[in-house]
Amino acid sequence: MEFIKPGTYIDFMKYRGPVITVLSLMALLSLVSLFYPGPNYGIDFAGGTEVQLAFTGDTSPGEVRKALEDAGYARPDVISVEDSPNEYIIRVREVSSLPEDQVEKIREAVDAALGEGVLREMKVSPGGDKITLRVSGEIHEQQLQEALEAGGAHVRSLNSLSGSRDPRYEVHLVGVADELTAQLRERFPDRAPAGALRVEWVGPKAGEQLREAAIQSLLYAIAFIMLYVAFRFDLRFAPGGVIAMLHDALITLGIYVLLQKEVNLTTVAALLTIMGYSINDTIVVFDRIRENMVRVRDKSLRELINISTSQMLSRTIVTSLTTLLSVSAFFFLGTGVIQDIAFALGIGILIGTLSSIFIAAPITELMDRRLFNRS
Amino acid sequence: MDRGWYFRLAIVVGSSVLGFLALWPSVDRWLPCPDIVKETFENQINPGLDIKGGLRLMYEVEVDEYIRDRRDRVAEQVQRQCGVLIGVVPEEEVDDIDKAKLEEIRQRCKVERVDKDGGAVRAIRITFSNQEDAQKLSKTWVKDYFRDLRVASGVGDLVVDLHMREEQLANMRETAVRQSERTITNRIDSMGVLEPTVIARPNDGDIIIEIPGAQESSFERIKSIISRTAQLRFQIVDDESDARAVFAAPPEGIYLNAGSQTFAEAYGEDARDRLRAYIATLPVPDDHVIAIGRQDADPERGGEGWRTYYMYRVADATGEDLDDASVGFDPQSGSPEVDFTMNTRGASRMADLTGRNIGKRMAIVLDDRVESAPVIQGQIGARGRITLGAYLDRNELLQEARDLVVVLQAGALPAPLRPANEQLIGPTLGQDSVRKGAIAALVGVVLVLIFMAAYYQVAGLVADAMVLLNLQLLLGTMSGIGATLTLPGVAAIALTVGMAVDANVLITERIREELRLGKSPRSAVEQGYARAYSSVFDSQLTTAIAGIVLWQFGTGPIKGFATMLLIGIGTSLFTGTFCSKVLFDWLVRGVRVQRLRVG
Repeated sequence: MEFIKPGTYIDFMKYRGPVITVLSLMALLSLVSLFYPGPNYGIDFAGGTEVQLAFTGDTSPGEVRKALEDAGYARPDVISVEDSPNEYIIRVREVSSLPEDQVEKIREAVDAALGEGVLREMKVSPGGDKITLRVSGEIHEQQLQEALEAGGAHVRSLNSLSGSRDPRYEVHLVGVADELTAQLRERFPDRAPAGALRVEWVGPKAGEQLREAAIQSLLYAIAFIMLYVAFRFDLRFAPGGVIAMLHDALITLGIYVLLQKEVNLTTVAALLTIMGYSINDTIVVFDRIRENMVRVRDKSLRELINISTSQMLSRTIVTSLTTLLSVSAFFFLGTGVIQDIAFALGIGILIGTLSSIFIAAPITELMDRRLFNRS
Repeated sequence: MDRGWYFRLAIVVGSSVLGFLALWPSVDRWLPCPDIVKETFENQINPGLDIKGGLRLMYEVEVDEYIRDRRDRVAEQVQRQCGVLIGVVPEEEVDDIDKAKLEEIRQRCKVERVDKDGGAVRAIRITFSNQEDAQKLSKTWVKDYFRDLRVASGVGDLVVDLHMREEQLANMRETAVRQSERTITNRIDSMGVLEPTVIARPNDGDIIIEIPGAQESSFERIKSIISRTAQLRFQIVDDESDARAVFAAPPEGIYLNAGSQTFAEAYGEDARDRLRAYIATLPVPDDHVIAIGRQDADPERGGEGWRTYYMYRVADATGEDLDDASVGFDPQSGSPEVDFTMNTRGASRMADLTGRNIGKRMAIVLDDRVESAPVIQGQIGARGRITLGAYLDRNELLQEARDLVVVLQAGALPAPLRPANEQLIGPTLGQDSVRKGAIAALVGVVLVLIFMAAYYQVAGLVADAMVLLNLQLLLGTMSGIGATLTLPGVAAIALTVGMAVDANVLITERIREELRLGKSPRSAVEQGYARAYSSVFDSQLTTAIAGIVLWQFGTGPIKGFATMLLIGIGTSLFTGTFCSKVLFDWLVRGVRVQRLRVG
């Protein structure tokens, strides 16, 4: 079987103008989409609300997950607690945020009620479900609660943590967790608990450290790849490969953002995989160009690129097809996270294949003209 | 076939067998694995949090300890800066005040650490001995030199109280939690591909860690590595001053040694705790501390022995200046120990500390426990070692040394961790999702196999064999290093398989080209491989470079991704170029096919 007849010659460079224009527009659109509408960050990046509750009758994790999805929560984590049957930790992305001016009002009310200088510190959790107060000296809990309510906070419970060496009060507010429990009660009137055992805001898994490490390692990776390509091939080839790689990742992310799919750690892994695929694909084409530069002496680089790309076309199609085959299985048969990762990879492979031919090679030709001053 | 071919075949078969053996413990459930294999390959593939669940730990960071520690350090600087304030030393010498001058400064203005409200307020108290010196202190002086402090009371009086600034306290709490998160992540990363979840919550002062897997034994080790503070300090033991007044009236069971060194010792079951309780009652001067370390067992008194060390509070050199640590062995006894090197700053501090104290003993203190206290024979530079003593058996010592290296390399926690909650948790994904993911992986691989066989015929079958071998080696390596497999990881493996056939595609396409030129199958295979090698290697190596960089600089999931990427590149290269050639050579040289069907 042959997709491409041997000896086929396609003038790819002739089409590079329109294709580059379209791809550049897509890249630009992707770049804009990162700011508007902006990525739809998942719980990995944005954090969320964590609720722990115990059902009174036998309930399976699947049932709970289904109930929450039906109630409109996107991809809730429903985790069973192993030692206690029917107890679950539920994580959702929704948070009940408290606006800044509201916080200020509460602070003023508490300050006024307790007297000058008694309130040492007041912090509202980023999830808006908890206020932590540090005070000096003894205060009346009743008084504090009234002050909080006066400031407009819906207090669910107030705990004193003065047992530890760092005395503080924790105030839990009515929020997402209560709504969630109510929804579960509606669905399972006989089994769902009246209240949660524990409600907490959870921070992002991918914190500052991960972000720093990711950016740093990406920059180093780009530098080392360029060095390697410049050393193994020559300077003309180095920028093309890296630009094509970044271009592919950017467009994939852009499409992801425009479709408002959830961006989480798995998406990052998918983007890294796409970059690996892209540079891999580009290098194979480069390798053939380099080989033909030695073998075919009397042709211009433009023709050499066409010849090399045409010769490699069969391989390019076969490799893209096999990778697309394994990815499509996940897209059509998988669920949730797996489906999303497959979607991203599918787009990345298509764009990556196109960019090796229409971005990496033309940039190399451009560099050739600039560096060697050829017309 | 020549001998070289048989040798290459042996390598292929050998690695396949090895891969299978490494994988066997992981598939014990479906294919019972003999004990001998389990003992050789201790690790197995660890199902991720999304597939199997694991252990959820919650630690509270004892931020108050961190704040106290910061206060103590600032107090030290305040004492020295006071020397400048009252004119005993010039500004330039503030970091290098000799003992006599320091004593004079203490006489005229004493700096003490004061805890108010049962520890809620960590303060520093300056007591001047004359009014003239006291007048020199002003609010601006405090503001200029000490960002973290504010004057609480007593400017112009003999007794001045300084408090930590409230807004700095909030920052410190945040810093303590963030630094702990960083250190914990580093420690977990250096234990391999664990794919944990680490979530820090600075507001609550706690950290949530979820570790995948179900092996109880490994949880214990992970917990001990995570929660170890690992603060390393080098302190000079004070054997000169008369400490007999301090060690007054030891209770029964604690023996006082008042020879050339003054110390208390205890033996038996709870010796350490008894000694600790006793120390807590002692009136230790502000610039000294008492720590506890191991004492050789005494046959008469019986049981394990512990003793006290009376030493200066100041630690001029600490683990912060550590550059590297590794497991070493004592040249004489051969017992495991931990060797370390200090960075430039640490080395010069260490040289300074040891140079000034020749003949005295230097205690190596790890988390308030004296590991050893050798006499300083001469100036020591960048290198040092921690001996672990002969109290455990060799294997335990070796494990202890390894764990110590992990924690020392990852750095100390800024404050101790207190376990707050511990729960075994189920998977984050439903059984249904996991099953569908597994089916999708299987279907994906089968589709690739069918396509390759249909498109490249015989060469496609060779590629198919390589895909299967590649899968086996990949999973075997994962099992061998105890890597964690998540559902997205399963997708990544299936994709690796799709991408790994690229090597086969490149080579087969090349063989096709050579055959079209009319070459014999044998020379087409030779030429095809020779020509395709460079593109296969260059493309895989470029990706590998990215992988190595991500592995070096990445943390958590990024590091995990890089590890899998590198393993995948390794196995793909091996099967795609080396193993497939053995099969092709057999076809064109062993079977001597007249026509090589490559589609």
